Amino acid sequence: MSANAAYANAARILVIEDDALLAAHIREYLGARGFVVELLSDGDSGLALALAQPFDLLLMDIMLPGRSGLEVLTRLRSERKVPVILMSALGAEQDRIAGFTQGADDYLPKPFAMAELEVRVLAVLRRVAYERNPQSLGGDTGLDPQLVFDEKRQDVRLAELWAGLTPTEYRLLELLLRHVEEVMSKAFLYQQVLHRPFLRHDRVLDMHISHIRRKLQLIGYETGRVETVWGKGYVFTRLALLP
Amino acid sequence: MSQRKPVLPGKRSIFWKLVAALALFCLLLIGLYAQLNTLIINATSRLSPKVKTVLTHYAEQAEVAWERDGSAGADAFLQRLREQEQVWAVMVDEHQHSLSSEPLSNEELTRLNFIRALDWSVGRPGGSPTVYIPFSRHEARLVMELPLRLNPRQYLQGWQGLLQFLPLLLSFVLGIVLYRVLIAPLTLLQRQANRLSEGNLAARVGEPLTRRRDELGSLANAFDRMAGRLESMVVFQRQLLRDMSHELRTPLSRLKVVGEQGDIQLLRQRLEHEVAVMERLISNTLELVWLDTEQPSLPLEAVDITRLWDTLRGDASFESGWPLVRMPCDLPAGCTVLGNLNGLAQAMENVLRNAIRHSPATGVVRLTGKAEGDGWVFCIEDQGPGVADEELERIFMPFTRLNAARPGGEGFGLGLAIARSMLRLQGGDLWGENGQPGLKIKFRLQNVYFVN
Repeated sequence: MSANAAYANAARILVIEDDALLAAHIREYLGARGFVVELLSDGDSGLALALAQPFDLLLMDIMLPGRSGLEVLTRLRSERKVPVILMSALGAEQDRIAGFTQGADDYLPKPFAMAELEVRVLAVLRRVAYERNPQSLGGDTGLDPQLVFDEKRQDVRLAELWAGLTPTEYRLLELLLRHVEEVMSKAFLYQQVLHRPFLRHDRVLDMHISHIRRKLQLIGYETGRVETVWGKGYVFTRLALLP
Repeated sequence: MSQRKPVLPGKRSIFWKLVAALALFCLLLIGLYAQLNTLIINATSRLSPKVKTVLTHYAEQAEVAWERDGSAGADAFLQRLREQEQVWAVMVDEHQHSLSSEPLSNEELTRLNFIRALDWSVGRPGGSPTVYIPFSRHEARLVMELPLRLNPRQYLQGWQGLLQFLPLLLSFVLGIVLYRVLIAPLTLLQRQANRLSEGNLAARVGEPLTRRRDELGSLANAFDRMAGRLESMVVFQRQLLRDMSHELRTPLSRLKVVGEQGDIQLLRQRLEHEVAVMERLISNTLELVWLDTEQPSLPLEAVDITRLWDTLRGDASFESGWPLVRMPCDLPAGCTVLGNLNGLAQAMENVLRNAIRHSPATGVVRLTGKAEGDGWVFCIEDQGPGVADEELERIFMPFTRLNAARPGGEGFGLGLAIARSMLRLQGGDLWGENGQPGLKIKFRLQNVYFVN
């Protein structure tokens, strides 16, 4: 978590939530992890504050007294680019949520564990940090001792064998390789590579990973592999090289 | 807005009934009108016996007068007759010579060419016919214009006026027929719709209206289908609500028991577990209701079943501790079908979990499949005890747990119901078959046709 702490440090978060107990709990939890948390309980004052002061992230319930979370989001989007995570106790029916969350960066169905909330918050903040400070991409930058990355072709090769990755798979593999041995949360991978919220029952990322594994195996790559960290995400692990 | 092309309605349409009814109406109207008119004219074309008697009597008087006083008698009689009846009248012999002192004018002579005997028809309506009555004892006759009061045509206009009401009468009859054919069914429909809106879910239009082949018949059928779907939906949701409250009571009562025992550590563990159970119950139930009642359209894409199984068994392996080799896949690499990735993943995951739960300690859950028609039929097969043939459909009903000896087990019996709904929403299907031993859950999906 030390890497996370860098961009979490002193990030200002506005929480708009009408359930006082949950709100207090969120403030306590995030506050203890170095975030500066502002708490409001209705949509109107929340919107006013979000427009008046700079925040790094908005955490907002959909069903709020007065102005609903979706209205706030619409108004806010016309003026501010601040990332927004929506929370709600509505069912997690995928289509409906996808329709609701147009413009939101992430969606968190209630009830959720605080640890899950933290993962989502960190994922969004980390993506924003990436956007502000893009790291030099591509080229044969020595990401891997064996694989050669071809940015133009969006593919990797081992010696003369091309893996035949799709652009999404390429970006995913590159991101994982940039952070070898660091567990990348699914929430962050969705944010960074697929540019959308991670919802329950969403298998798209898992399928991409499965394709990457098979394609790397087919070209005979064996110095590292993508491991599943169950309940958390994926990590790229180096395997001990054969003597 | 694109306007629909006017097309002729189908041959069972009410349109044709209306056309036939109107054509019949027109034919009937024209036919009856002409027929009745002729009838009236014919009925008024003959002199009645009474009139004949009156006229014969005049002739008798004329003959007597002429016999007694010659032309002077004829003059006197004719004058009286003309005054009394206000008509033209003459008396002539067989050579058309006047018997009175006045000779006949040319005009009168011409008129003598158009005279009718008493038994003849009075001729076309409108004219005033001239009749002759022969004398009984001489070759002479009385010729006179038929007085209006004796003319059988005197009421003709009245009768013909009455005939103008014929369209009204026929329209009335046609109106009654059309009303009974078209509006009475609508009244029935309205009555049933009212009963339905009052909460009587068993309200149906029923036969004989639903047997009709026209638009009203299909409307009645649509109504009955709607009412049926409404009823089954409400019954389904009531059942679901009952089952769900029952399922919720189980974890709640367990928590209550642990709470009363006062062991905080144990309570904490229990709480975490039971909250997760209740959460899953609620989200699965909502999901099922959503799938069943809203029937969302799931976007279809090419899904690589081999890779999907690989992903799913990875998760299942973590959850259950089964090694991957106990979940083999006997499919050709890259076996790809048309489906919705997330929906299909959820369905297969539910089936896989169910299979693992009912497997013996060292069992194997196998995915097989074969191309069939324009798609694939896949089969997820376990080595558990299987299900009695008559129970094979029941396992897809929500909250069905066949094995009552697994109280508080992991499932609520929602998994297979969700799986089936998911498959059906993607244009596929899912059903169960008995293996030897074990249960086979099969599902069908369509091929993807790649265009390179």
